[in-house]
Amino acid sequence: MTLLDVRDLQVAYHNPSSGGLTLAVDGVSFKVDRGETLGIVGESGCGKTTLARALMAYCRPGGVIVGGEVVFDGQNILELKDEQIRELRGSRMAMVPQDPLTSLTYHMKVGPQIDEILRIHQKLGAQAARLATLKLFDGTNLPAPEKIYGRYPHENSGGQRQRVVIAGALACEPDLLILDEPTTALDTTTEMQVLKLVKELRDRLGTALVYITHDLTLTDYICENVLVMRDGKVVERGTASQIFSAPQTDYGKMLVSAIPRVDADIAEPTPAAEKKTEEALLKVEHLSYRYSQRWSIEALFNPQEEQLAVDDVSFELQRGETIGLVGESGSGKSTVANIVVGLMAPTMGTVSFDGAPINMIDKFRSEDLRRRIQIVFQDPLSSLNPRCRIESILTRPLKIFFGMSGPAARDRAVELLEDMELSADLLKRFPRQLSGGQQQRVAIARAFTAKPDLILCDEVTSALDVSVQAHVLKLLKGIQVKTGAACLFISHDLGVVKQVANETVVLQKGQVVEAGITRTVFDHPKHTYTQLLLAAALRREDYADLTLSAPEGSSA
Amino acid sequence: MLVNDKTLTSILTHSPGTTVGVALVSLHLLSAIFAPLLIPYGPTQLVGVPLLAPGHPDFLLGTDVIGRDFLSRLLMGGRTSITVAMVGVMGAVLIGTFFAVSAAYIGGHYDDVIMRIVDTKLSIPGILFVALFVVGFGRSVTVLTIVVGLSYFPGAVRTIRAQAMTQVPLAYVKAARLRGESTLSVIFRELTPNVIEVVVVEFAIRTSSAILIVSALSFLGLGISPPTPDWGLMVSEGVNQIYEAPWLILLPAVFISTLVVGLNFASDGLANALGLDAARGMHGG
Repeated sequence: MTLLDVRDLQVAYHNPSSGGLTLAVDGVSFKVDRGETLGIVGESGCGKTTLARALMAYCRPGGVIVGGEVVFDGQNILELKDEQIRELRGSRMAMVPQDPLTSLTYHMKVGPQIDEILRIHQKLGAQAARLATLKLFDGTNLPAPEKIYGRYPHENSGGQRQRVVIAGALACEPDLLILDEPTTALDTTTEMQVLKLVKELRDRLGTALVYITHDLTLTDYICENVLVMRDGKVVERGTASQIFSAPQTDYGKMLVSAIPRVDADIAEPTPAAEKKTEEALLKVEHLSYRYSQRWSIEALFNPQEEQLAVDDVSFELQRGETIGLVGESGSGKSTVANIVVGLMAPTMGTVSFDGAPINMIDKFRSEDLRRRIQIVFQDPLSSLNPRCRIESILTRPLKIFFGMSGPAARDRAVELLEDMELSADLLKRFPRQLSGGQQQRVAIARAFTAKPDLILCDEVTSALDVSVQAHVLKLLKGIQVKTGAACLFISHDLGVVKQVANETVVLQKGQVVEAGITRTVFDHPKHTYTQLLLAAALRREDYADLTLSAPEGSSA
Repeated sequence: MLVNDKTLTSILTHSPGTTVGVALVSLHLLSAIFAPLLIPYGPTQLVGVPLLAPGHPDFLLGTDVIGRDFLSRLLMGGRTSITVAMVGVMGAVLIGTFFAVSAAYIGGHYDDVIMRIVDTKLSIPGILFVALFVVGFGRSVTVLTIVVGLSYFPGAVRTIRAQAMTQVPLAYVKAARLRGESTLSVIFRELTPNVIEVVVVEFAIRTSSAILIVSALSFLGLGISPPTPDWGLMVSEGVNQIYEAPWLILLPAVFISTLVVGLNFASDGLANALGLDAARGMHGG
């Protein structure tokens, strides 16, 4: 039985520069049955969020629904009056947006926020609403619902917040639930918990789901049917397993092949083991870092056990090799990079580079040492000065490290851009005028201006689309091989690490739980946490059994 | 391309209010610059019978208490206070930018010392500070300019530092530090260009408030000294004739208000066009 029937839907945005309309969703049609899950997949800017909102007859300011029908339970909701649509929203159709922190009101405790929905739509009294909310929290597997009820949004972890939002969306047992990238802001293991929950609830309540995501592995796990969107149009549709295993269109194939797969075989065997006799390029020994505690009266009376951000971490990196540093948010992986590069001084431990221990504070390091260790940051836009043209971004380090200037520096900059498959025209542009992938490629080019021996990559592709990520990783690998630089590759994405790293170090709460040759770590994980990460990345059903035995890292 | 990928025209015509503001300010600036060529008589010369009403064939806006041409005095009357306000505020904002950005970047005790000095200054009532300063150092255009600069320095430091603080944690600053840029180079090359919008808006907003302060001082007899024509001074000279010759007060007052209102409109529009919400609602501070 069809619940939602979308016919030739068109949504457009006003274009301030030309004054006309630009179509963001262009003639999309699909049907969703009760109890069915439809996945809508696409890269950033393909119009998937705009579509999700239009399903609830809503547009971001500046947008208009210019054509088509959204037939919900036999009624075209685009023709309804505002009050009638408000009746529907929240009670019969609900949405879970991407960021759970901004979708909850900061200054209100989370419980009363859910009460409100029940009081408005189901006309429940205060006490009844409270009881119903607690029941919902219980139903979404939130630990200690009474305690969560009285907490503010920021006092909950990301996974808990998203579960609260899902509880709110389910408050009135809607017929249709729209999930717009509900797990993108979460760690993989937390993501799996949320996904399992959504799946369970769907089966229990018979809710129809529209699941919007950029991640094809997710749709394979949770959806029956999938639409692939590009530039506002549906380019491919089919069952989830069919699209995941045998995509028909070029775009679909490209998307699937670009996914860094954890279960993929590594192409080249790793030669790291035999080189071990050589002196390591980077040697990190017993590194610990503790955030200095702020003085407060509360701390005096109520001393908290001090948590180390990095706790006794040691590893070695050989010349020309790549080590992957894996862990979830808060595992201390970025802190390690910041310490190596000199931005933070460790509480304990030493870092040796090329056989000699190095000064922990960047100011006291020699110019040559600074040149030899370079870092590429996560967010490409903020790592490039918005007021500098690409030319000066690239030539400045050349002047500092090699005293190059004028045409010589310019030529070198062009050469580096070419290595990154960027055209020389970009030299005259500002960072804002480039796409995210181009910005990150410029950032990588800048790091290589210094001819480094070691390059630290701190989540360099996590802000990029999958297809762009694949390209950037390929270019990074290329320039790394060309220059022979070693790389410390930090990422939360196991698939990516498997692709680039010879060796992998797994961090949990600042401690190394497992380390070794990438293939060994991935094929025969010893530690439960590694197994947990892998199971989550593989979207395995037995994930739940592992969760029971492993400590839950997401709470508090 | 001026700032933020926006053209000068698109900023100046951001909203009807901005256009009105920009027009008013331009009119005032032009008349102040070209006043010496426009005026029919010397502003300090006694040329007619005292207290002639406006509309006289020889004296378009009449004459003042001692028979000077009122039109000439009005046109010349903005020059000194506009100059004092602009130069003073410009100094405050430029020097303030350096202290603000360096405080945000260097932090620690350096930041603390600068900000506590700023706090101390902000806790003294503005007009009292200015009055005491003028009484202590004497009445001169230089002293006035310095006191205007000192008055607006703390506010400018606070606002610009706040903006710089949003830039300091960004990766491009870390990248600059890691390639060994000197502190001064990070401050001037990396950070300052990224707070420039706030600096421009600060300048526009504080100038309007400074013009009011200078006029108020002149009115109180602590500002510009007679016989130099000045709007604030003219208002105070006209107070005794408020019933017989109200235009002696009204006309300079209108000149002051149109300039200040114009500056406020223009700076508001500027702040909006540059997307600086924080800059709103800080007039007169």
